[in-house]
Amino acid sequence: MMRPARSLLTLAVAGSLLIASCGGGEEGGDTLTVYSGRSEELVQPLIDLFEEATGIAVEVRYGESPELAALLIAEGESSNADVFFAQDPASLGSVGELLMELPDTILSTVDEKYRDRGQRWVGISGRVRTFVYNTSSTIPLPQTIDDVTSPAWASQVGVAPTNGSFLTFVSAMILERGEDATLDWLRDLAANDPIDYPSNSPIVAAADGGEIEGGLVNHYYLLQLRAQGGGADSENHFIPAGDVGSLVMTAGAGILTSSDNNDTAEQFLDFLLSRRAQEYFATVTFEYPLLDGVDAAEGLPPLSEIKTPDIDLSALSEVLDRATELVAEAGLV
Amino acid sequence: MIESPALNSPDISHRRRHSGTGRGWWWAAVVVLIPSLIPPATLTWIVASGGIDIGIPAGRLATLFVNTLGLTIAVTATALLIGIATAYLTARTDIPGRTTWMLIAALPLVVPSYVAALTIIAATGSGGVVDEYLGWAIPTPYGFAGSWLALSVFLAPMVHLTLVPALRRIDPSTEEAAIGLGASRLKTLVTVTIPQARPALIAAGLLVGLYTVSDFGAVSLLRFDTFTRAIYTLYVGQIDRTPAIALSLILMVMAVAIILAQRKVTTRATYYSRRPRAGAGLLHLRGWSRGAATFALAAYSFLTLVVPIGVMTRWLLRGLSVGQGAGQFWDETARSVGVALAAAVVGVIAAFPVAMVTARIQGRASRLVGSAVWASYAIPHVAVGVAVVAFALSAARPLYQSLALLIATYTVMFLAQSMASTEDSLLRASPDLEHAARGLGSGPLTTLRRIILPLAKPGLLAGAALIFLSVMKELPATLLLRPNGFETLAVRIWSTTGEGFYTQAATAGLLLLAVSVLPLLAVTRRDISD
Repeated sequence: MMRPARSLLTLAVAGSLLIASCGGGEEGGDTLTVYSGRSEELVQPLIDLFEEATGIAVEVRYGESPELAALLIAEGESSNADVFFAQDPASLGSVGELLMELPDTILSTVDEKYRDRGQRWVGISGRVRTFVYNTSSTIPLPQTIDDVTSPAWASQVGVAPTNGSFLTFVSAMILERGEDATLDWLRDLAANDPIDYPSNSPIVAAADGGEIEGGLVNHYYLLQLRAQGGGADSENHFIPAGDVGSLVMTAGAGILTSSDNNDTAEQFLDFLLSRRAQEYFATVTFEYPLLDGVDAAEGLPPLSEIKTPDIDLSALSEVLDRATELVAEAGLV
Repeated sequence: MIESPALNSPDISHRRRHSGTGRGWWWAAVVVLIPSLIPPATLTWIVASGGIDIGIPAGRLATLFVNTLGLTIAVTATALLIGIATAYLTARTDIPGRTTWMLIAALPLVVPSYVAALTIIAATGSGGVVDEYLGWAIPTPYGFAGSWLALSVFLAPMVHLTLVPALRRIDPSTEEAAIGLGASRLKTLVTVTIPQARPALIAAGLLVGLYTVSDFGAVSLLRFDTFTRAIYTLYVGQIDRTPAIALSLILMVMAVAIILAQRKVTTRATYYSRRPRAGAGLLHLRGWSRGAATFALAAYSFLTLVVPIGVMTRWLLRGLSVGQGAGQFWDETARSVGVALAAAVVGVIAAFPVAMVTARIQGRASRLVGSAVWASYAIPHVAVGVAVVAFALSAARPLYQSLALLIATYTVMFLAQSMASTEDSLLRASPDLEHAARGLGSGPLTTLRRIILPLAKPGLLAGAALIFLSVMKELPATLLLRPNGFETLAVRIWSTTGEGFYTQAATAGLLLLAVSVLPLLAVTRRDISD
């Protein structure tokens, strides 16, 4: 019969062996540490490519972009992170002071609309707000974002009010129209009885299945659904008025000033903007590549034809928290 | 289960008395308890130093409060109904396959609430499993309905496990008398049996209530706006941490109030319960009632075991058939099992001196130690996570994002489980043995090694199994505290479900259930067989 002390010892040894066998959690000297607000499912294949190509080990902390931004602020100078790869410009903007100025070689790869005016982060891929709709719908498609709150669309529009992209969209509206007008729009939306979803993909699935007529989402979810064999009964509609209805939100990356791994970090950013990685975004995640000469996925209008409002993407950070509050105040959550 | 303190140990409170070796255990227990104070102290300190403006509109607070409370009441009532039914049928009637059903009805405990939510999401909606087989796209019950379903069905085993030992201790003669006097079975159940098990019922109800207040996975994935979900969405969606921390403090106060009420009830219950009578008479089920009872148990097990496993397997196969990868989760599995084992070992060792104090020493101070451990058990994990990150960043920088901090946090959160089971074993053994050994000249260490530890062994191992299970299932604190790159099964189930990658989520979910089922069997068998 095993004595308790010995059983415990056996368990302890087994536990440590297991943890040691799978790695994670340790800091190697040459390891590049990336804080990624983009999900593991989307980004890890790229990281693997980078590791393979360069032999550099990359350790990633996955989380939500604003969460990681707040962590970076709290960690300050002693952060382990070398690179911040964020889903939205607001999170990048909010840690602007912790990011170093990027060299021109990196910045010039991308159109100046899609990078920080203070040169501290660079856009990596483009995500566009769009209106997904069921193709058998007879309701006239919205020509401006205000049409979405019109009676024609009452009880027919899917929204994901806690989703980061929706909040970025609301932040952009605050920059474009001011807080009061944004709150009015959110209240109109709430009064129009939208259907709540936790995230974008179920909205697209519901529009495709005819449960709802349309929804406010990002452009690539429909293409992902099609890649899985669905999506035949729905279409993306890029609201043509040039308002935030077709906002181009860049996912982007910057390098922490506290990093002692600058060269490797720059190498990583170069890689993200390389043809290979940009093609990955175009063909696997269906985002817009930002490198000239790499085409967007088939069926998408070119990025240059999408009418997006002219706003300073970095300034989104100043109103992001306010956007969350307004969404709650309007009764959408 | 062990979560209900002292219920399983009738008539032995007299063994809690002064032991000569108390002082060393006291010191050790106090040292163990210091880390438990960190989460509540951190939250209180941050809120106190930040002033009262928490930046959340009063209307929102009211909604959160009403939603949290409403869900808690609904889930508790439903789980009690289901748990009473499964416990009564398997402990008090001669239903065929009685002891097997008793075990099966406990098994849904292995299913974490976020896996329950994943099951609901993957089964419903257009393209869901129900749509695929029946051609009927039931809308996914986001919000209250789904959260209520997921939580009540999967928390009912907690009521079952608390109630089975209590029902067994009830003297069947009063029931027999009631039936002999012409009362119907149902009337006997409601007027005679249930009132006798009331302390256990109240304890179980409070326990389910506590879990509901603290649950993060189901309400987050199914989008019901309760405190835990609001804390997490504020935490990850906003740069400013103050609102999340303030809400964490409110939620912590609610949960601690519930556990202290529960402790009050269960301790009193100890004095009222009686020893089980050997071969206590079982109610004979006849004819249709036998069929109906069997059907009810089968339906419950189908819903809680076959459906989740079936739905996840279907998604896995479907994904594989269209060429999607199932995902590689071996590293995640190894990490989950590794930290769970480590936390189990540390937790059992840390709990031992605490259990020596609560089991062997009487008095207010000893009771206070027990209450402190239960209070830290009650603090919702999302609040613990928020607090520990803040603490590590400002006061324990070298520990920040370390495996050691993660394991220490698990130990603090789940210490009560190993403490209770160790205490239970110690209470079953008389301290006279220890005194005799000391009297015969054994040193304290020899007495510990040769007398106390062997006697405590079943409790130590049960405690280890319980902590292992809890750590495997734990989600919110792991999300916030894991070291960089340290993705566990729970974390991957969460992220893949959130992104709509149900094939990968299903793979990870099935792995999690597979790894957890053995320790659960070990624990429930010990709890049920008496």
